[in-house]
Amino acid sequence: MSSVNRWRRLRRSVQLLCLLGFLILFVATEYRGEDRLSWPVSLLFRIDPLALIADLLAPGAPHLSLLWPALLVLLLTAIAGRFFCGWICPLGTTLDGCGAVIGRGKTVVKPGWRQIKYLLLIFLSVAALLGVQLFGLFDPLAIFLRTLTFALYPTYNLGANALFDAAWQHPVPVLSPAINQLFPFWRDHLMAFRPPFFTLGLFTLLIFLCILALERIERRFWCKNLCPLGGLLGLCSRYALLRRTPSRLCSDCALCASACRMAAVGTEAVRKSECIRCFDCGDYCPYRRVAFSWSPQPRPEVSTDLTRRGVLVAAASGLLIAPSIRIEPDARLHNSTLLRPPGAVDEAEFLRRCIRCGECMKVCIGSALHPAFLQAGVTGLWTPLLMARLGYCEYNCTLCGQVCPTGAIKELSLEVKRKTVIGLAVFDKNLCLPYARGEECLVCEEHCPTGKKAIIFDERDVTYGGVTRRLKQPVVVKSLCIGCGICETKCPVEGVSAIRVIHEGESRRQRDASAGLDGY
Amino acid sequence: MDRREFIRSSLQLAIATAAIGGTPWLDLAALAAPAPLTPPLAVRKGKDIPATVRAAVTALGGMGAFVKAGEVVVVKPNIGWDRTVELAANTHPLVVRTVVELCLEAGAKKVLVFDRTCNDPRRCYVESGISAAVEGLKSSKVSMEQIDRRAFIDVDIKGGIDQQRWSFYQPALNADRFINLPIAKHHSISTITVGMKNIMGVIGGNRGTMHRNIAEALADINTIIRSDLTIVDATRILVANGPQGGRLEDVKVLDTIIASPDIVAADAYSATLFGLQPRDITSVVAGAKRGLGTFDLQKVRMV
Repeated sequence: MSSVNRWRRLRRSVQLLCLLGFLILFVATEYRGEDRLSWPVSLLFRIDPLALIADLLAPGAPHLSLLWPALLVLLLTAIAGRFFCGWICPLGTTLDGCGAVIGRGKTVVKPGWRQIKYLLLIFLSVAALLGVQLFGLFDPLAIFLRTLTFALYPTYNLGANALFDAAWQHPVPVLSPAINQLFPFWRDHLMAFRPPFFTLGLFTLLIFLCILALERIERRFWCKNLCPLGGLLGLCSRYALLRRTPSRLCSDCALCASACRMAAVGTEAVRKSECIRCFDCGDYCPYRRVAFSWSPQPRPEVSTDLTRRGVLVAAASGLLIAPSIRIEPDARLHNSTLLRPPGAVDEAEFLRRCIRCGECMKVCIGSALHPAFLQAGVTGLWTPLLMARLGYCEYNCTLCGQVCPTGAIKELSLEVKRKTVIGLAVFDKNLCLPYARGEECLVCEEHCPTGKKAIIFDERDVTYGGVTRRLKQPVVVKSLCIGCGICETKCPVEGVSAIRVIHEGESRRQRDASAGLDGY
Repeated sequence: MDRREFIRSSLQLAIATAAIGGTPWLDLAALAAPAPLTPPLAVRKGKDIPATVRAAVTALGGMGAFVKAGEVVVVKPNIGWDRTVELAANTHPLVVRTVVELCLEAGAKKVLVFDRTCNDPRRCYVESGISAAVEGLKSSKVSMEQIDRRAFIDVDIKGGIDQQRWSFYQPALNADRFINLPIAKHHSISTITVGMKNIMGVIGGNRGTMHRNIAEALADINTIIRSDLTIVDATRILVANGPQGGRLEDVKVLDTIIASPDIVAADAYSATLFGLQPRDITSVVAGAKRGLGTFDLQKVRMV
């Protein structure tokens, strides 16, 4: 067995181990009895160079204490090439695995397509520099984790719960008791405590399926042509020390031209920025000619596929999109329920920091955080919204700040978090029972967690339909309300809540959100 | 007996049988057995919580009077809130642990501890300290698991005034004995929350809707889940901003344990700790009217 062959097997093992590791970290991204998560659950994004760039280009101090592993990845790529794509990237591994199942296309896509990933990278970088950060939409790691969080994991939970429910409802001898026995352990360790659900679940799944379907055109189509992280790592690996020989297609064979998953082996040279160091060629080469060695190389043997025109167009697009986005009004002006997690930085900086990885939404103990579609403007796609009717911010929980890899959500101490204002609860007296129907309720007051309650009540004689009753009518104390939303979640009125949290007075605001209006 | 007589007597018999059969004997049996006219009530004070709990139970004749060997017992504390012990939002873990121990000593086959919480269930179980206290017993007969969302079942509430049907937690319905372990707290809509309201922790559904007529709703559900013994944790009570609390200045330390087989009497006595009269508490009054117990403390036998 050649040494290259051993490398290939090693690479496959590493791929599977990394995928498994990320899955374990994913499942561990949940409250399990400790206020602080003991695992570095967002490791996937701390090694993400795109997250690093987003962080560096955002206003405010960079979070190198979080993101230094990403720097390490870039450094290693400069030495060893695009190994990340072939060995570590969970989306790459998923595509490799699923491609084997769904069948891989044999179409040879024009080499010119490969420049798209660089152009996307340039576009995204220039846009981010000028204030519109969209890396998260195309970041493969974000795509992977979003799909897992919003679509695959909820699906798995639905399936598992259906099984446990069926076993509960239909007492099949032996089988049902066995499954019932498993339930507590499964629920506590291998499933979400509550079956998760997310807005945008299907939309996110659809995007993932599209990327998967691209495998039917060409193997690793996404990685080869579209992935901006692949582009960045490709640029970094142009002077990589790890070299492959033969350094071009052999005239007597040329199997590499069709067999290389990245189509990295050309007639003039091996494209270093395309080779993901999968070491397959060592295996399939009929002549056992392939070898890898360490040697410095002053000049890349082949250029990237970039055209000057392409670069200019990409950069100009990035340049233009930043002001173009602002022709839309600030979403907060017309969306009063645009709430962010506690510890979120000011909206402008938030949008520039958040890489839409979904970690905060995965970890949210109250199922309060959900991905935005257009509620936060077009640039806010997949950013976390606190949707208080679906779930509330648990008063003593600080998990979202602990997992955010880019400082979009600051890590708050419990004392600070309890005082952090997410928004303000307001009543809809047309729905609220003591006002609208002359009935008693006060569930909001009961649940208000602020010690000295932010929801109190006035006792009044209320005449409703000719009958006068003495009723307690709830009111919000603005100075005490932190907008956690438990009142909105627990409001027993069906459908839309009779009390809603609006973003008035949120702590993160650096200037008045209405300053954009030509107001009074 | 001639034919005419035979037919007449047959008809008479048939009518009599129908009349007897038509009488809702089962329903009558399901109604509250009239509460004893002078229910016993034990009030004990002391800094040593386990000793105080034991003293109160001993005064009622010991746990053996309530729990028989081989029985499955539900011990239902209030674990509703993500609050630590000193904030008096949940039953004191030492009260829970001592009662579980007493059940085991009385020969219980299985002791189940649970609550359908208001805050996140995982946080409540941990932060209340009850999970650690119960698990500290290290007994295979004791189980403190999260509520199993599958195990709710709809039950008709015969004679229900606010609710005629509601979903209940099966382990609570199926237990041989139900021991209610509330903590006495201020509550804006029900004035105080003690034993009767603690039963809300074993029901399913949208519990918020019960607050529209809380007194009758609580009486309704208490006709389904009968507390064989109610032990009120008044070691510290929450006098304002209840039931969730959160401020030490709202906590009043009383070092008191109240125990009675009569849940209404226990709640009624608890009212006095807040400077209230039992008749001020609508649920207590409603409970007494439904035959769940007596709220007239003059008729209670202090032991």
